[in-house]
Amino acid sequence: MVDIFALTVPHVALLIALWRLVQRDDLDREGGTEPRPTRPGREPPRA
Amino acid sequence: MLNLALTAVVALLFVIGIRRPFVWVLAYLYIDILAPQKVSWGFLSAIPISLIAFILAFAGWALFDDKRDSRFTLRQGLIAVLLVYCGLTTLGADFPVNAGEKWAWVWKALVFAIFLPLTLRTRLRIEAAALIMVLTIGMLIIDGGIKTLGGGGGYGTLRLFVDDNSGLYEGSIISAVAIAVIPLIAWLMKHGTVFPSDWRVKLFGAALIFSCLLIPIGTQARTGLVCIAVVAVLSLRSVKRRFLYVTLAALAVVVAIPFLPASYTARMSTIENHESDQSASTRVEVWKWTLDYVREHPFGGGFDAYRGNSIRVETRKAVQHGSTVTVEVGHTYDKARAYHSSYFEMLGEQGWPGLIVWLWLMLSGLWQMERLRQRWKRRTGEGETWQAPLAEALQHSLLVYMVGSLFVGIAFQPFCYMLIGLQIGLWSYLQRIESQRPQVRPQRPRLIVPDAVAAG
Repeated sequence: MVDIFALTVPHVALLIALWRLVQRDDLDREGGTEPRPTRPGREPPRA
Repeated sequence: MLNLALTAVVALLFVIGIRRPFVWVLAYLYIDILAPQKVSWGFLSAIPISLIAFILAFAGWALFDDKRDSRFTLRQGLIAVLLVYCGLTTLGADFPVNAGEKWAWVWKALVFAIFLPLTLRTRLRIEAAALIMVLTIGMLIIDGGIKTLGGGGGYGTLRLFVDDNSGLYEGSIISAVAIAVIPLIAWLMKHGTVFPSDWRVKLFGAALIFSCLLIPIGTQARTGLVCIAVVAVLSLRSVKRRFLYVTLAALAVVVAIPFLPASYTARMSTIENHESDQSASTRVEVWKWTLDYVREHPFGGGFDAYRGNSIRVETRKAVQHGSTVTVEVGHTYDKARAYHSSYFEMLGEQGWPGLIVWLWLMLSGLWQMERLRQRWKRRTGEGETWQAPLAEALQHSLLVYMVGSLFVGIAFQPFCYMLIGLQIGLWSYLQRIESQRPQVRPQRPRLIVPDAVAAG
């Protein structure tokens, strides 16, 4: 019974964490570093 | 039912990874810490899920991940050197079969420690790795904590899910690791974004920390008590009200002592008087043997070289005769005793070169985290307040591990290399962030000449 409880509670938290993680774009791409800086000497692309 | 549930979780992690390959890295962390193949008895134990997760994690990064922000650092180089060196000592090991068995899991832990930082490219990934590590080890800790509260502890008898005495399921190891993760739990409680700080997070975190503190009591491992003392002292660096903290800590100890099992207090008292305890005396003799051994084998004897030791241990026993107590000195012989210290484990198995590289890896981690802490601690801007506390938490975790390592042979414990991987990832990430920040340079005063004047 204790084993089941000890496995269940963190697993529930782990699955919620996974669900929240896959919803977030900043998992794979840092918001603050995009767009990537252009190389020196090059003009940024015009809109 | 349990078997099905664990299989479903592993399958789910593998499936989600198809959409977000970084989840395969998290899957490896989960599998390597919990070892669900040990806990379950069916399908999972029949297939090499750890190796599958390892391959998926690496393939996911190699094929789909953006590698422009990945950096190879000096500490990864040190782990690579250690990996190659361990491979060489395994080839010439004193006990080739046993050394081969240890090498089979050590190489994976070292390769993963090199690989993990390459994937930790964003703040959320660093947090996610820390969170999955804490939640997964939390399963063992919650299990041990509740059983300790229910009186199910005892030296070598605290059963965590299964009757297994290896890796994180071993009493002294889980004792040291449980205390080492406390700073990380505290950081997640305050700075986590997956589970932002609220009363539920604080309640769960506090309960988990309490459970961590129960593990050394449940396992009756003296190492854990030393680690608790270390983490308590280190916490003084960051607490705001130090006097209140010290008072509350002292009060907690006074209140807790009457509730501790008599067997626990009796065992802890042997820390001061180690000569009366055969286990501690044996350790000292093994350490002396190791020093003698490396005089003849300075490059180490390969994994499990301790199997060659044969030692004579002096024991002292107090015997009461009426109103007088006499100390009887005896001797016992022992052989193939483990090192019971990571430092001597590294020295005996990998010799002086291995010990030097390993110490360099550890000490450089403490130094790097201190540098990060100093660099970021005064910043108060948005998104700039989590870095210094995380560096501090990882530094404290490593320090607790290093102190615990004095008495437990955990030089190659995979969980500790995950902590090192996290440190390297944080260092590398913050170095990159710093280099991308616009440099503010003082502007030279320029003479502005009005057009009309310039035209004359």
